[in-house]
Amino acid sequence: MLIGNYKETYAADEALFRTPTARAWVAVGAAAAIGFPFLAGDYLLYLANLVGVLAIGALGLNILTGFTGQISLGHAAFMGVGAYATAVLAARAGWPFWLALPAGGAAACLAGMVVGVPSLRIKGLYLAIATLAAQVIFEWIFTNWNSVTGGIRGINVPPAQIFGLGFDTDRRLYFLILALAAAHTWAAANLFRTRIGRAFIAIRDRDISAELIGINLFRYKILAFMLSSYFAGIAGGLWVYFTRVVTPENFPLSLSIQYLAMIIVGGLGSIKGTLMGAVFITLVPEVLKALAQGARAFAPEAMSYLFPLRDIVFGAMIVAFLIFEPHGLNEMWNRIRRFFALWPFPK
Amino acid sequence: MSKSPIPCVLAAAAVAFAAFSAHAADEEVRVGACQPITGRFAFAGVNINAGLQDYLNYANEAGILKGKKFAYFYEDSGYDTEKAVATFKKIMAQYNPVMMYGESTGLGKAIGPELNSRYKVLYGSASFSSELADPKSHPYSFVSGPTYSDMFGVLLDYIAKNAKGKEKPKIALFYSDTEFGKDPIPFARKRAAELGIEVVADIVTKVGAVDVTTEVLTLKKTQPDYVIFQGYVLAPIPEVIRSARDHGLKTTFMGTFWSMDKTIIDKLGPDAEGYMGVNPYAYYYADVPGIAAMRKYNERVHPAEKYRPNSYIQGWFTGMIYAETARRVLAAGKPITGDNLKDALATIKDWDTGGLTGKVSFVQNKAAVGRVYRANVQKGIFEPASDWIYLK
Repeated sequence: MLIGNYKETYAADEALFRTPTARAWVAVGAAAAIGFPFLAGDYLLYLANLVGVLAIGALGLNILTGFTGQISLGHAAFMGVGAYATAVLAARAGWPFWLALPAGGAAACLAGMVVGVPSLRIKGLYLAIATLAAQVIFEWIFTNWNSVTGGIRGINVPPAQIFGLGFDTDRRLYFLILALAAAHTWAAANLFRTRIGRAFIAIRDRDISAELIGINLFRYKILAFMLSSYFAGIAGGLWVYFTRVVTPENFPLSLSIQYLAMIIVGGLGSIKGTLMGAVFITLVPEVLKALAQGARAFAPEAMSYLFPLRDIVFGAMIVAFLIFEPHGLNEMWNRIRRFFALWPFPK
Repeated sequence: MSKSPIPCVLAAAAVAFAAFSAHAADEEVRVGACQPITGRFAFAGVNINAGLQDYLNYANEAGILKGKKFAYFYEDSGYDTEKAVATFKKIMAQYNPVMMYGESTGLGKAIGPELNSRYKVLYGSASFSSELADPKSHPYSFVSGPTYSDMFGVLLDYIAKNAKGKEKPKIALFYSDTEFGKDPIPFARKRAAELGIEVVADIVTKVGAVDVTTEVLTLKKTQPDYVIFQGYVLAPIPEVIRSARDHGLKTTFMGTFWSMDKTIIDKLGPDAEGYMGVNPYAYYYADVPGIAAMRKYNERVHPAEKYRPNSYIQGWFTGMIYAETARRVLAAGKPITGDNLKDALATIKDWDTGGLTGKVSFVQNKAAVGRVYRANVQKGIFEPASDWIYLK
């Protein structure tokens, strides 16, 4: 049982993981993440990679929506900008991975800067509509700017290479994606321990008060958009190396909404929650599918009803979350943790 | 040690199962499928799946593979490229089939690099995209019939021959702003120019557009003899045709495979009179041996099914291609592998499918043949308006 958390140094006060138990669990998690590809098959590896890429994108959206309070329906478009920039540079200009990927992030960052401008004047649902417009505009550009984006056929991209090592299998890509996801998670977690991150939170909690204490709203809101889009751009760039082809149909509005679902289910304004949300939204449909698949042995004729039923169950689960745990998976996790920390005493 | 007998039983079952499946694997030709049973494409996916599964059963009963049998493993992939790729990998890992079926153009493109470098299985799909019929970039994939471009080729040939008393027939291309819509358009423009057909209007809309007033006014202004739809299944085709008839337009409207099902006649009623289009296959009510065998199978196995849509026939025909390639590989005394199947596919020349399609020759991983049909509203069916048209 944990009886206290007594800090004697500033370093202890600033630590990301504050108790020996937490550090032990992080070590176990890291070991599991590194050991995973040696045990998992293609299917699980592919899903893990997908989760990793989406998690980076979702972190970006949580910076903007969860921490800064600026809702965005255009996150998939920023991911698309990053993906196309990376694809064009890698496939046409022959840039190596370590240049093309950050360039994709930078391109998305610029796009985010432009789209973020209206956020000074409009808030809430109105901003949602403004970002929705960005989503539609970018989608249109992806489809119709044939000379650059390759139109509806898109661009085929060669596999990533770092120091001559080709990342052309899911297993190799896994390590690349894991490293980048870990680095971005670490960066995002630290962001909210800096002046910038705290300014974001202040803006979310009450923008007028934030302005009164000397936070330049315009600058920080734009910065939030830029950072968020940068994360999306990196996710997009990685996504390109992951699927090796990019087409306009890869970044629809429904993906933007899926990102929102991830951070809401995971927990707005929580880094850990974002990761859990990405895992939940990506894997639960697969689990439900496996269940439906298992039921096939008993009712081979009922498949055309059982498969769609899965979507209904998934929808119901999300609704149940919003009702019973509005703070998301993160809060649920915290409660479980508190329970065990105080066990055997009631809280 | 464990007191429970369950682990022992499970272990014994696992051993028995492994032994059984090792034995069965020699006799089995495994076919995997990522089917869009849910999602936007479910209307066709359910039928494609039924058609493919039924044909493989039919082939097993008829003993087409001489002692070997098809085993079919399908999963729902929800018409979502990422989910479909995951499903593809899952099926490959779990069952290791030698043939795969995929739900969409998107899946074909996304799995392409790994299909060539790693999986090397024969890959058929619901897509008629010309990109997937390119043996250079997609050597293992084939299109179950003509590509969309070929379908336009068939229609344009027909128009060039049948535009009565017209020196230079005028057409309008009416398509959606999707891959599905835009795929054959560059080819259509080129082919029209070669045949001396004038393209007077190029109309692009969203899928399922509701307000078609401006589009119909464009048609009224340009007065094309034919309008060809591409990239839609239903909406906005009925709206456009109705509204064009209200404006007194005499244009002939045409569609390609996905907009050539009976549902469009049911939806349009009397306005469907004169609606035409290209279908690579015969209809379920056609009086030809290839379709009669299918009907007989359905009467016996699925007595409740009185009609099967085109997508079912597409699935069935894809099954026929799988069986024919496997049969050729076995006849040559070779093992059934993706590479041998791919090579066998290229040897298919003038293959008689009993009237289910024209004579099938696989060139460039596709069979460029189709037929023009016209709606007969009285009977509620499509009737052939031409013989099978072969493209060079």
